[in-house]
Order: sequence, then C-alpha cells, then structure tokens
Amino acid sequence: MAARETNPNFMNGVPELLILRLVQQEEMYGYEIVQAIRGRTDSVIAVGEGVVYPVLHGLESDGALRSRRRTVNGRSRIYYSVTPAGRRRLADLAAGWTNLTAAIQTILTGGRHGEAV
Amino acid sequence: MAKPFDELRERLLRGGVAPRHVRRYLRELGDHLSDLKVDESSAGRCPVDAEAAAQIRLGSMDDLAKAMIEKRQFRSWSNRAPWAIFSLGPLLMLAVAYYLSLFILWSGWQMFLTGTDTPFLRIHGFATFYFGVGRLIYFGAPILVGWIFFLIAARQRFNALWPIIGTTLVALVSGAAQIRASRTAIPGGLGHIRMFFTLPSSGDLLLGRVVGAVIVLSLGMAPYFIWRLRTRAAI
Repeated sequence: MAARETNPNFMNGVPELLILRLVQQEEMYGYEIVQAIRGRTDSVIAVGEGVVYPVLHGLESDGALRSRRRTVNGRSRIYYSVTPAGRRRLADLAAGWTNLTAAIQTILTGGRHGEAV
Repeated sequence: MAKPFDELRERLLRGGVAPRHVRRYLRELGDHLSDLKVDESSAGRCPVDAEAAAQIRLGSMDDLAKAMIEKRQFRSWSNRAPWAIFSLGPLLMLAVAYYLSLFILWSGWQMFLTGTDTPFLRIHGFATFYFGVGRLIYFGAPILVGWIFFLIAARQRFNALWPIIGTTLVALVSGAAQIRASRTAIPGGLGHIRMFFTLPSSGDLLLGRVVGAVIVLSLGMAPYFIWRLRTRAAI
C-alpha cells in the first residue's frame, strides 16, 4: 500500500470523529472499527490499521469512550462504546468539521467572491 | 509474529510509554494482526503472503511507535518527572518504612517492656519476633527501596543514572539515621522515640556509618547490574 500524504492540520480530529460516530451506533472492537471505516469510505480513508489503537486509548483516557473485555467465538476482545462525554465531543467535532467542509466547498465552487477580502 | 512486536515494545518503552499502555497496545495489535491474516488468507493468499500483507495493513513499525509515543498522556510518570520519581519517591518510601519500624518499636516497648526506660534491652519470646519485624523493616527498607526503583528503571528502559541517584540518597539518609528513646521526655511516661539524621564526630563511628551506607548502596544496586550483565551476555 503506497504511503498517503496527509495535511495534519486538516486531518486533526478526523480519526476521533469517525471512531466516535461509528462507536455511537454500536459497541465495536478495533478491527471492526477499521474495517467499518474502510468499508464506508470505499477505502478513501485508509491508514495503517494499528494506529487506531492510540486514538481509541486516548479517547478512553479522556473519558469519551469506555471499554470492556468480551469473549466472542472463543476470542477475548476489547470492545469500545461511547460515553455521554463522548457524545458531546462527537457533536462538537461534527459541527466543526461541517463548518470546515462547507467553507472549503464554498471556495471550490467559487461562491462569495470578494467577501473574504 | 513475536519478533516485530518485541522491537516495538522496546521502542515504546524507550520512548517513555508506560508499561501498562504498552502491554495493552501490543495485545490489541496482536489480535488485530491475527484478524488481518485470516482476512488475507480468506482472500486466497498463501500463508506467507497473507502474513506479509497483514503486516503492511497493520502499519509500519515507525508509524505504530510514533502514534503511541506522540501522545503525552501515555507517558509514564517516571518519564514525565524522573527527578521526582527517582529522588523524592525513594525518600518518601523510606520515610514510610522508617515510620512503620518506629511504630513497631514504640508499641513493642509499651506492650513488652512496660516501665523500662528504653526499648533497647535484651528480650525473649514473642517480643523477639515482634521487635525483629521492626528491625528487619528498619535495616531492610533502604535495600528494598533501591531494588524497587532499579526494577522500575529496568522495566521502563531507563539508564542507571536516575536509580543510582535515588539509591545514593537513600544510602546517605540511612547512614545518617539515628534513634533515641526516652521514657521521661514527655509527661505521662508513655515513652518517646525520636529519629534524627546526623553524622557522628568520632572517626570510628563515622567510618561505621559510611561502611553501612556503602553496603546499602552496593546491595541496592547489585541485582540491577547483575541483570544488566546477564542481559548483555545473552545478546
């Protein structure tokens, strides 16, 4: 897989946003989360899959996620679910991202000429 | 499978990530890699290709290490404030041990030596065991504290400087520690035990204290350096 260059400032908060959104719907473990991101974005967002864990652990440490160990089909896994604090963080991140994409879209479509001056 | 994660473990520990975070990260990475191998195998790859493809999907060693090391919240306290952990920590632990041993001395004095002016007398029976526990804590604590902090340093791949500083402080304090007991120092005759830190002016006594401190320092450091030598020999 070729390395993909990203703009860290623009990508800031995106992994958290996607993870919180997915885990809000149902309890998931790391592998499931990564496959869901790949599947739902048609692999547009594809990162080294292992780097999802520091993000998950960071969200858990911030109180946005909680984890529990579950044994499914004989395999013990750590499942993540969102907390009330995580829901609030998701709402903030989603609002910020929506504003950002709307602003970029405005520029791309050539709207609001001269207003930025 | 174990080899790349061994290398990652070393990089994370040397990068200052706390051992408990490292353990959990590697465990989840191991599970993830197993799932990826199954996924790649079910796509028709041979085991060798499936393993290689799974490793690529998991991420490079640099990315996996960097993602964890960059997050300051996963750093161990020893990495964030080594001066506090390795200098104040041993002294605090030694203070607790000394307090406990002095309490045993004082309570034993009240229970077994009622009416005597000092607890430092010849004793018999259960009192020997009771005071013996206190004595063991008093003399063993400096060495044990040294071991604990060298163990912390070894687990987190610190160089030996910090625990040497901590153990030296502990050895100096233990070498200067003295205990005085008096039945009449406070009203009521309950008995009063005082600990203070000073070096004797007499040459012989001073030499004894210095030798004691050197013994504490040597015994405190010995297991760590034996372990280092054995590890180096194994490599």
